[in-house]
Amino acid sequence: MSYCVNCGVELHAGCSVCPLCNTEVHNPRQAVDRTALAPFPVRKGDASPVQQTDAMILISIILAVTAGVCGLLNLLVFQRTSWSLYVIGGCAILWIFFLPVFFQKLSPYLSLFLDGAGISMYFGIIAWLHPGNGWYLGLAFPLTVLATGLVLLFVVCVRQIHASILSCAAFVLGEIAVFTIAAELLIDLFRQAPPGITWSAIVLTCCVIIDAALITIIRRARLREEVRRRMHI
Amino acid sequence: MSKRLNHKTPWYRLDLSAIVYPTLQRRNFSSVYRLSVILKEKVEPDLLQKAVDLTLPRFPTFKVAMRKGLFWRYLEPNDRPGPFVEPDIVNPCMPMFFQNSNRYLIRIYYYECRIALEVFHSLSDGGGALYLLRTMTAVYLRLKGYEIPDGHGVLALDEKPDPEELEDAYIRYASSRVRPPRSRDKTYRIRGTKEPFYTLNIINGVLQVSQVRAVSGKYQVSVTEYLNAVLLYALLEKQKADRVFRELPVSIAMPVNLRRFFPSKTLRNFITMVYPSIDPRMGDYTFEDIIVQVHHFMRYYINNKFLNADITTNAAVTRNPFIRVVPLFFKDFVVRQFYKRVQDRQSSAGLTNLGIIETPKEMKAYIERFDVLMGQPFSARTNCAVASYGDSLSISFASSIVEADVERLFFRKLVKDGIHVKIESNRKTG
Repeated sequence: MSYCVNCGVELHAGCSVCPLCNTEVHNPRQAVDRTALAPFPVRKGDASPVQQTDAMILISIILAVTAGVCGLLNLLVFQRTSWSLYVIGGCAILWIFFLPVFFQKLSPYLSLFLDGAGISMYFGIIAWLHPGNGWYLGLAFPLTVLATGLVLLFVVCVRQIHASILSCAAFVLGEIAVFTIAAELLIDLFRQAPPGITWSAIVLTCCVIIDAALITIIRRARLREEVRRRMHI
Repeated sequence: MSKRLNHKTPWYRLDLSAIVYPTLQRRNFSSVYRLSVILKEKVEPDLLQKAVDLTLPRFPTFKVAMRKGLFWRYLEPNDRPGPFVEPDIVNPCMPMFFQNSNRYLIRIYYYECRIALEVFHSLSDGGGALYLLRTMTAVYLRLKGYEIPDGHGVLALDEKPDPEELEDAYIRYASSRVRPPRSRDKTYRIRGTKEPFYTLNIINGVLQVSQVRAVSGKYQVSVTEYLNAVLLYALLEKQKADRVFRELPVSIAMPVNLRRFFPSKTLRNFITMVYPSIDPRMGDYTFEDIIVQVHHFMRYYINNKFLNADITTNAAVTRNPFIRVVPLFFKDFVVRQFYKRVQDRQSSAGLTNLGIIETPKEMKAYIERFDVLMGQPFSARTNCAVASYGDSLSISFASSIVEADVERLFFRKLVKDGIHVKIESNRKTG
């Protein structure tokens, strides 16, 4: 039997480090027995996601019936405008929003992409019903694509890089600045005015100041710890 | 008419404690705990499955599914196939979703000599579930050909369940004329690196009961009081090491088995929480100071009068007609927020002691020890559970953080007091 020189506890024959303090086990009289039966198995359990079949069927039927009935009413009774397309589009978009609830293994990236596509589609329906001055292709579509892209980037940052709360806050502020500038430039292009930054510069300035403060806090370990302690994050 | 009544499906209201646990259910959290028995021989899964199938009908409140009503949840008998025994896993007490596993709210695992029973807390507390585990183990040993009598925690399979076993004992005993207020200070919360989802770090210490008794006797306190004091000491040391900006009281949430004070055979929940605590803002506490404080706290609060007042406060909530008519989703929201923002912050760690586990003496030759695991903590912290069998005392820490500082300080203190500790863990140590 081996003991931890730091903690004084007896260790399992197969332990090469103490589970309490990570001190390596060096027992000249008894080497670590790698064949010893481990006190716990190695198989990892996985809680299978909840089957939401009933909820999926119920919500899908409600949405489909709503869309179908409105479509029929539009075709047969209230025929003056194609108003039912708003309802049908709304039902479709709601169904897309519910996808992560129905399919819990659905990739969040794919789900967000579909959400973005759904919103673009709804704007497309409105643009088709009210063909105006090209607002859809000039403004709505590029802004939706940009917003979806930025949200996807944020999710990648949180899930893949495991960024801290402070880093996430800095990232979100950066994205807000980018989105505001892009929005102003697109509006200028849409109005056929010379592109320039005016009101978005105020947002940009605020974001840059807060981001600079956050990056300083993140980079200086002592300051970062102090903020975490005070804010309990 | 009588025929219709006989065929009426029985159902069980959730008891006072059980109401809270489903509301805390998240994708990555369930209130699940684990009781294990370590036998002296390797477990045979086929026989274990037979033992489960034979035992479970005797425990109707464990053979149930969770259902949602308009105002409350309830338990309904579950006649679907199962539960089925499975090979054990390295990360026990995983979330238990109500619709999965044929809607069963218990799981049974086996690994080498261990039989483990995992229970969703709405069904029963550790004391009640221990009857199921002991009876199941006795049936398993009988199937192996050993003579095991009933009694000492093993229930007779040929007897019908006593109605008292199925009762909500809180309602029977909540009779205090005053309801003490519940406000408590915020307490120190352990800061650590959260483990990824599905990781539960376990450190299990095996001690000798005789040694622990001798040491606690030296301090003139009970074993529970001594272990509570050691955990408070470890938490205080951890807070000091953290160099926190503002010191906070250190407190332990400790369930008390109410069956000791209010005679009831119930196999459902019948516990209440007490919170022994130390406030370091009042000055530096030595271990001797802590142990005196804990000893007097326990003697003052753990008696039938204080405990009655406590359960009456809980019962008043469910008896209130205004609360009763609030829809379930709103109750869920309020309870979850209250637990997250108030209740969970009132303790720095949890500690439960199942005490000395009794079995028929004929079973002792086949059992090494019992282990208990409090399960995944709601917030990032560590929970400690204690069980004694024969001369073996098992202390299991379950934590969802990477650092094992509290566990280290706890076991080092025991070693310093001259107690021999053997450590086993599911952390990577090989």
